[in-house]
Amino acid sequence: MTNPTQPTADATSTLHEQAGEADLDAVANPSSGRRARGGSNGPSWFQIIWASKKARVGIVLLGLYVLVALLAPVISPHDAADTTFNPVELPSGAHWMGTTTQGADIFSQLIYGTRTSLIVGLFGGLFATALALLIGLISGYLEGTWIDDILSFVTNVALVVPVLPLIITLMAYSEVRSIWFTIFIIGIISWAGPARAKRAQIITLRNRDWVTAAKFAGDGTGTIVFREILPQMTSLVAAGFFGAANGAIGAEAGLSFLGLGNTESVSWGTMLYQAQLQGALAQGLWIWLIVPGLALAGLIFSLTLVNFGIDLISNPHLREDG
Amino acid sequence: MALLDVDDLVVRYSPKLHAPLNAVDGVTFSIAEGEFVGLIGESGSGKSTLANAILRLTERPGRIASGTITFNGTDITTKSADELRPVRWRDLSTVFQSSMNALNPVVRIEPQFRDAIELHSSLRGGAVVERIKELFDLVMIDHRYIRAYPHELSGGMKQRVNLALALVNDPKFVLLDEPTTGLDVVVQRSILENIRELQRKQGFAVLFISHDIGTVMDLSDRILVMYAGRIVEEHTTADLLERPLHPYTKGLLGSYGDPRSETVRITYVPGRPPDLSQPHQGCLFAPRCPERIERCLSVEPPLLPLVPVLPLNRGPLEPAPAQPFVGSVMTPRVACHVAQLQATAPDTPGLPAPTRTFQGPEFVKTIDESEGALASEVFLEVKGVSKVYTSRQGFSTREFTAVDDVSFELRRGMVAALVGQSGSGKSTLAKLITGVEKPTSGEIVFHSSEGPIDVAGLSGSRLSRYRKLVQMVFQDPYSSLNPNKTLQYILSRPLKNHRGLRGAEARAEIDSLLERVALTPPDRYRGRYGYELSGGQRQRVVIARALAAKPELVIADEPISSLDVSIRAEILELLHQLVQGSDVGILYITHDLLSARMLADEVIVLNGGKVVEQGKAIDVIRNPTDAYTRTLLEAIPNPFAAHPPVEAAG
Repeated sequence: MTNPTQPTADATSTLHEQAGEADLDAVANPSSGRRARGGSNGPSWFQIIWASKKARVGIVLLGLYVLVALLAPVISPHDAADTTFNPVELPSGAHWMGTTTQGADIFSQLIYGTRTSLIVGLFGGLFATALALLIGLISGYLEGTWIDDILSFVTNVALVVPVLPLIITLMAYSEVRSIWFTIFIIGIISWAGPARAKRAQIITLRNRDWVTAAKFAGDGTGTIVFREILPQMTSLVAAGFFGAANGAIGAEAGLSFLGLGNTESVSWGTMLYQAQLQGALAQGLWIWLIVPGLALAGLIFSLTLVNFGIDLISNPHLREDG
Repeated sequence: MALLDVDDLVVRYSPKLHAPLNAVDGVTFSIAEGEFVGLIGESGSGKSTLANAILRLTERPGRIASGTITFNGTDITTKSADELRPVRWRDLSTVFQSSMNALNPVVRIEPQFRDAIELHSSLRGGAVVERIKELFDLVMIDHRYIRAYPHELSGGMKQRVNLALALVNDPKFVLLDEPTTGLDVVVQRSILENIRELQRKQGFAVLFISHDIGTVMDLSDRILVMYAGRIVEEHTTADLLERPLHPYTKGLLGSYGDPRSETVRITYVPGRPPDLSQPHQGCLFAPRCPERIERCLSVEPPLLPLVPVLPLNRGPLEPAPAQPFVGSVMTPRVACHVAQLQATAPDTPGLPAPTRTFQGPEFVKTIDESEGALASEVFLEVKGVSKVYTSRQGFSTREFTAVDDVSFELRRGMVAALVGQSGSGKSTLAKLITGVEKPTSGEIVFHSSEGPIDVAGLSGSRLSRYRKLVQMVFQDPYSSLNPNKTLQYILSRPLKNHRGLRGAEARAEIDSLLERVALTPPDRYRGRYGYELSGGQRQRVVIARALAAKPELVIADEPISSLDVSIRAEILELLHQLVQGSDVGILYITHDLLSARMLADEVIVLNGGKVVEQGKAIDVIRNPTDAYTRTLLEAIPNPFAAHPPVEAAG
């Protein structure tokens, strides 16, 4: 190429630099709006979630539950396992919600039960999400190979196995019935659906140009999957986690209500189980039956609301509504 | 009385989490019955927002903040959906940009037409089918497709059906929003000619929106140029070519040239469009404008008729109403201090001399340059390569030959262009050369500095080592940079994997790469993300990443086709500079013979998987021997070809 007019070329480069300069200054200058809203990619993830009224209510509500769980020894007037009180007392100053037929303080049981539900939700959700991620990512990235065939087959089997009979059998035959065993059981029955979703998403992501570019840059499969693709899926993974946590909390309560829960600590499920078993309503202890159910509903409600907010991260079109 | 009158229209977007902005700001124009008006603007200029506002399809978070839209004598700005229904599709119809989504995929074509016809007319039963047949004749589609489902039609046919559907009730006005974008060049051409012919015959008015000034000029009587939400120039087509007024229009025109000329010059507009959510002062184009004067930086120029005939009660700078016009005689309007002063007060000190061309950067290719090349050693041999894809449907297998017995050679430090329309097999060839796919027959030999490599036989780790030698530049810079990674990370990967560079060494190399692609100073770019950059800057990063491995061959697959027209030459020039004085060869894949002329030493024309013509770029383009090459040459949008300007003739 020849550049016949040298002065033009010089003028050009100055013009170019100035244009670039102005643009960069807008970014470098923290007082400019561009930086304030975090570049053209938009606001930070927390701003997005917080902007939704539903999610805001959910976060506050969830925060309350976490606070109650952390401060359980401070809040609860008695020990949850303490059965030395007069049985079947109606609500009073000493026992805000009365006592059970075995002589335990219902309010204290309710407070300590929060801990169980949150632990099951957190770890059950994490376990199921981790399993789903591992299997979904590998089988999706290797779509069409024999590895994918095997993993997809396992996933499909896990999807169609009747879950309730399986859990009941596993729980009934197990020697230990700790909270961790419950978490383990819940994890292995609930990973399959999310694994399918993650497999589907990685199949769309792995054909993007930037994945091909990473191959040309010499990156191996592991680097591409975990450093290039996984960060793109954060919002789906987060939504999957909250969904799984929700399921785990519900499953724990259900198992405990059936008498298959952990026998070592108090949970809302075991409260319901005991209340049902002892005929709480007939004895006028309706509070014993109602409060664990309400607490459970509230926690699941809060997680669902938070998930509305996470939806907004992955789908910007939803952000302008309500 | 004009058919459509848009008066001082403002469309404001107020998203919840971003600063509000006026995507369309103070737009005033009108369209007379039977007139063909073009609206040009690049991505983000507000042209589609304007189109949606005219159709009253503006959605949250956007809204029409002020101004009026008068159609056929009635103000439709605030009419409810129920009041609009009788007007829509009877008097006012549209063809949307994405032809793929505009037809309902689960309903046959006939009922989709029937709905539109029966709602607005008294035709029923067989008469409707007759009408559909008539419309299919107009857009030149076989009647047997009337009972087809949309997926049985090709992209071009779907867009013709959409056009027929828009004409179903003999509308007075049709809005075409980039109706051919995404279609193949040759198909695009024939659809546009079809549109213009129908418009002449049927006499409906058209607002034709496009980012491509070349196609718009071929069709329109009058042109509106939009920049940053404002109309910056309004002009009749013929006069616009003679006397473009706004520097931005000159910039757009400058991006075209005739590849057959001895010397081809194409200009580009440096910088990027303004962020409209920021407060601004003066002319919005001023930061990119080579003709700007002091006044441009402080006072925003209003859109005024060029030689204003001032009524007594108006000040000189009040915006004038849309000018009445008769045929091609109208006063052009322009929003530019320089153009206005050049017309009214040419003696103003500091005023640049009037010019017809964009005074910015320019990429020039002369005929002499292409001589003398073609002497260096051959490093890639493609010998009799074929690629056959077999697909199984039930018990029968079908074979599709994507590449058919193709042979060519690439030489060190040279650019070869692989030219053809979509489906010609050019991308398949790229996959074969990069080792992504294996040829069915034939041989590809890469003579690297460490000896010959048989590309078809590579797999596993040897394939990844081969990738050090052959790198890719992708078509779409918006999807080829991972949005989660900084430029530093993106550029460090090939350095680490292919050249074993880490830490300080890698950082120094990243800086020199960024400097090589003119992203300077490097420390301002290293920590940034792809989404913070403009399309042109992103493509520079993609090129830098390809160079990081120190490859011997770079395959550039349509690297400029998804960029705005006004900045394409910038990337071409960069690629050109990279080849000069280095050993890198470039295989440039394109459908566009103009860019092939600008960049390539050699041109290989592919049609239906076969090489139909091959030779020195200048020879192939100036003296094409194959009919297909001539079709491709004719498909290049060239405003100057239809209306040759006086100077270019000499």
